[in-house]
Amino acid sequence: MSMWRDKKTQPTEPHDVQQTAPPPPPPPASRQETPMNETTSRLSSTAPGTPRQTILGPSVVLKGELTADEDLLIEGQFEGTVSLEQHCLTVGANGHVKAEIKARQAVILGTLTGKVAAREKVEIRRSGHLVGDLATGAVAIEEGAYFKGSIEILRDEPKESPRGASPRSAAPPSAAPPRPSGTNA
Amino acid sequence: MFPKKTFFESHGSRNPPPEAPSRALEWLWQNLREVKHPHVFDCGPVQPATINVLLKRGAKLYVSDLITLARESDPKFIRRLGKTTTFLTDAFLENIPPIPPDSLSVIACWHLLDLLPRDAIPGLLTRLWSYLRTGGVLFCLLREPSLPNGAGTRWWLDSLMTLRSDPESKLPFPYPVLTNREIEHLVPGGNLKTFLTRSARREIVAIK
Repeated sequence: MSMWRDKKTQPTEPHDVQQTAPPPPPPPASRQETPMNETTSRLSSTAPGTPRQTILGPSVVLKGELTADEDLLIEGQFEGTVSLEQHCLTVGANGHVKAEIKARQAVILGTLTGKVAAREKVEIRRSGHLVGDLATGAVAIEEGAYFKGSIEILRDEPKESPRGASPRSAAPPSAAPPRPSGTNA
Repeated sequence: MFPKKTFFESHGSRNPPPEAPSRALEWLWQNLREVKHPHVFDCGPVQPATINVLLKRGAKLYVSDLITLARESDPKFIRRLGKTTTFLTDAFLENIPPIPPDSLSVIACWHLLDLLPRDAIPGLLTRLWSYLRTGGVLFCLLREPSLPNGAGTRWWLDSLMTLRSDPESKLPFPYPVLTNREIEHLVPGGNLKTFLTRSARREIVAIK
């Protein structure tokens, strides 16, 4: 999918998401390579292909433990833990989250402080501000995003060879990339 | 992963600067060729290209933009008493994310040492040094002594062994140039290598 595709082909009113939830049936577009332009970054919370999405609106202030079996968009303030093992968490542009997060995928457009474990991918968009530790299958940080913390890519390591085995089989750096960071989940 | 988009593409510039091959980086990665998953601390501004390059190398990354903090001379790090100005090194160092001691294989300082007052550098280097494992490498850039128009302060990795910089980040540096002799004294017990370039910068690697 092209990153610079024609914006005219995309819906333009992201606020409809909140007013018309649950969201409309998913368009056939792929959810794997979300373009990074402004329009679609605002629309990503509609998460094409997902049947339902919960929205914590801008006026919501919540503390505690949150578990869900559907996608979650936080536009308000949340503090605690979020567990969405099979689903996507989006911290909206107005969202302020201080939490430990487990999700399949996380998209940060607002402010997030805490640890994020996202099995597939973490995206930090231009407006995103993240302070914390990421453990994920892939990460995409847009130019202009703020990030302070650590990034660890989860790998399906081959079974350990016996101790003492020579590490010299490691690829030299010139041939270095063991695999693209986006495909090692 | 998103399509690779450089700073220049995102800002509408048609002429990104040419790649700058780095002999220091070449040496560094050759030195670390057997480290499969190096732990790397990047002190520069968040650059998608740098992050992608290092993650593809298999690194675990620590990121904190100390360069911008130093470039902008944030007043919260400066105390003025009469005519005396003191740089609050401890407050500055609080911006480093939690990193286990003796764990890092690489610290990318870029031009950070050029951007800090001289009295802040020993504390900074001592702290950074404590994060390096034995054999770990501190990589930094230093400007050449005479640069009337300043030099770029915003650099990133275009590949493991090539750099790019943002010409708009070109600034005159506020402090006197660091000489190689000074760096040798400042790096605690380190083995230092200097790579001269014809591009107004020295590339320094210090091995723990």
